[in-house]
Amino acid sequence: MINPNDSTNAFIVFELAKTIYGIHSQFVQQMEMIEQITPVPNAPLFVEGVVFSRGQVIPAINLRVRFGFEKIPYDLRTRLIVIQCQNRTIGLIVDTAREFLRIPDNLIQVPPEEMAGMSGKYLSGIATLNDRIILILNVEELMISENSPVGVK
Amino acid sequence: MSEENNIFTEFLDDYFAECEEHLTNVQKQLLSLENYINQPEIDETIVNQLFRSFHTIKGLSGMVGFKEVENLSHQMESYLKLLRDEPVILSPFGFDILLESTKILEQLIITQQNKTDSPSITNIVDQLTTLIEEISPEKRTQSSVTPQQLKLTDQQTENLKTLSKNYNYTWHFSFTPNSQLAEKGINVNVIRSRLEALGKLVHNAPRMTETHDIAFDFIVVTNTSETTFASWLEDGLVWNPYQEILPDSQESETESETVSLIFNSIENSESSEISILEQSKGSEITVKNEDEPSPESLLKIKPSTSSDLLPQVPTLTSQNPNVVRVELSKLDHLMRILGDLVISRAKLDENLKQVQSSLSAPQRRSLQEINLTLERQMRDIREGFMRVRLVPIGEIFSRMQFVVRDLVRSSKKHLNLEISGQNTEIDKLVVERMLDPMLHLVRNAVGHGIESPEERFEAHKPANAKVSLRAKTAGEMVIIEIEDDGKGIDQEKVLLKAKEKGLLTEFDQENIDHFTILELLCHPGFSTQEKADLVSGRGVGMTVVKNTVTELGGIVELTTQKGKGTCFRIQLPLTLAIADALIIVVKNQRFAIPQASIREIILISETEIIPLENNEIMTYRNQVLPIKRLAKVFNLESPLNPRENNLNIPVLSKDNYFQIVVIGTQTNAIGLVIDQIIGMREIVVRPLIDPLIKVMGIAGATELGDGRVVLILDASALIQNSKSKIPNSQLLIQRTKDKEQRTKDKEQRTNDK
Repeated sequence: MINPNDSTNAFIVFELAKTIYGIHSQFVQQMEMIEQITPVPNAPLFVEGVVFSRGQVIPAINLRVRFGFEKIPYDLRTRLIVIQCQNRTIGLIVDTAREFLRIPDNLIQVPPEEMAGMSGKYLSGIATLNDRIILILNVEELMISENSPVGVK
Repeated sequence: MSEENNIFTEFLDDYFAECEEHLTNVQKQLLSLENYINQPEIDETIVNQLFRSFHTIKGLSGMVGFKEVENLSHQMESYLKLLRDEPVILSPFGFDILLESTKILEQLIITQQNKTDSPSITNIVDQLTTLIEEISPEKRTQSSVTPQQLKLTDQQTENLKTLSKNYNYTWHFSFTPNSQLAEKGINVNVIRSRLEALGKLVHNAPRMTETHDIAFDFIVVTNTSETTFASWLEDGLVWNPYQEILPDSQESETESETVSLIFNSIENSESSEISILEQSKGSEITVKNEDEPSPESLLKIKPSTSSDLLPQVPTLTSQNPNVVRVELSKLDHLMRILGDLVISRAKLDENLKQVQSSLSAPQRRSLQEINLTLERQMRDIREGFMRVRLVPIGEIFSRMQFVVRDLVRSSKKHLNLEISGQNTEIDKLVVERMLDPMLHLVRNAVGHGIESPEERFEAHKPANAKVSLRAKTAGEMVIIEIEDDGKGIDQEKVLLKAKEKGLLTEFDQENIDHFTILELLCHPGFSTQEKADLVSGRGVGMTVVKNTVTELGGIVELTTQKGKGTCFRIQLPLTLAIADALIIVVKNQRFAIPQASIREIILISETEIIPLENNEIMTYRNQVLPIKRLAKVFNLESPLNPRENNLNIPVLSKDNYFQIVVIGTQTNAIGLVIDQIIGMREIVVRPLIDPLIKVMGIAGATELGDGRVVLILDASALIQNSKSKIPNSQLLIQRTKDKEQRTKDKEQRTNDK
């Protein structure tokens, strides 16, 4: 997932329930303000609905629900990060996202086994950068296990 | 390494696409070629086209290393070359071989594509080689050689006419002298005296062959049959029954011939040379026909609209150089961009409304005008895109012609194939997907629907059965009908079988409708295990038919009458990209219902709804209509997202009255309870691709110009869903008719479980 030939990788950094996450920029297609999300009946609970993105109808996943956090209403800071991976396009609803960071490889470590929380299994690494801890999201894992009953009551 | 592989795969894709195109062309050309069986001259453009197609396939196959395909197409190419360059008559046998090889060639290519086992080609290649050897110039036999056309003088023609009345046969001999024959003492004088001994020599002239040798033509009237001079073949003499060529009759003849073709089967190919005579107009020549009026297959191709599918029309067959081949995905991409454009314009519209109060009247007007023009232009583009995707349905129909021809030959049935509306346009994707279902239906019609000639005779039906393929546009729908006048579907048998299999617990034969029959036929596994009863149990592959049509948002209907025939009627949306839809509101969420699936909108009171176990029904036009509350089906009781409650559309609450949208077909409908109707809109249909959002009852999504996604209801899935909960609509009818019956049925049902 992380290009070994490039010692510095670009990440989109976002915030979710006061935790800072990063997504490798190669997966990110664009970022949008939340406009209109149309709920889809009988879809998994973490699927907030569908939105248009570049003319395509894509699912919008509420990452809070997905990771088991409490759902909060959208505000002006709420963002939809449109990611593309394995021929699928999916929108992730996050609390806020506005940073673009370059993180050198040597600052990213393998996450500890005992990493707690719902997001644990979706992490590919942890970066420490200027006293900030950034959890690196494993997008592929997120895509694959999407259909698992996580978050569905 | 992987890059190389990619390039190869990409090239292979091109290869398959190109082969397919050539094979389609070949099939078309072969149909035209059929008119020239036993004809003295073959339209060279047809042969050339065929030749070119096989040549290309050969070349391409060589490049990708498909040796078998290369080999077979090479042999076909050789045969066609002979047909083109040598004075060779296309025999019915030769034509059959061509057909057969084309079929095998197609299979070969398909198996390469699917990486399955390929059929053996040794047999067909052998047949081709034998054929080629037989007719190649070095070793011509009498049946496949056509002597050059002779121009007789008027006097000779007169002479021939009078003479032929007194003789049984008129033969055209052709003698090519060479050195070996001369050594044996055979020269033109010897031949001439031999022929004079047979009967009267009417014509006698030398001519130049293509290889610049001298040859001699003789026309002889005689009472002697072929057996007498059969041995003269070794003496460089070839012969054929003489066919008179009227100066201007040739063209007109071929034209009338195409309307009604007679196909001879392989078994009768030995006697085929005789049929040339049957076709010549001035029938002063006696015909010797050893055969009974043919037991072999007979097929007439009779397009009911004037010209377009007639195979001999060269304009149809020649490829149009002004055509660009575009991948569908590229069009889809453009369509997506256009969709974004529509949304952007809607935003512009929104903003314009906000600022217009601060603008002066002229400023506002001009801005509005620009905005409206933009809207109109964008609709035009949308329309244009849709048109680009449309192709004439004739593409499948001509494939069907080919299939029917093949079936007829193997089944000894007599039938006319009638085709109409082949210019009806339909979305390219729909055409592609419908090929298999159409094949199934046509095969069923010919294989199971049409009776044998004997059965037809007994039933006092015309000997020639009729299979019709029809297409027409009706509003936003295309209707395809496949009809035969065969024996119809034996409903009793179907029902019995269904009962046996436990698909039907109880039935009242008077009440069984065509819909139920169709449902049973389409039930997976219903027909496949019916091998012993295949003839009556139509339905091989019916599941495929049903599923494909449903996926495409269409509807299949069946009408059948025992002894009279069967008709399948398929309704398909003209295009998958754009449709008219009714926009409705349920629990503050908007949905679109494709107009094609809507039957009626009715207003009913709560009291008309009859609760029935877990379902609700009502009577509608003397039938039972299952009622579905969309809010319940979609769990919309509490809005999923409170922020969506800002539509501000008043919910209709006229006491206990409901608005119900009846969807489905006449025989298969359900009523959807909704809150509010907004109106009809033209919508651009977007598919829901991601597995996360593929849910039952939703076919796709659209936007109405405000950037918000509106989900499109999947009518057939909703009907299917309600049907699966009510196993038998017939049971329902009975239950409402008779309340006492209800408990009994209930018992029956629990017993079945």
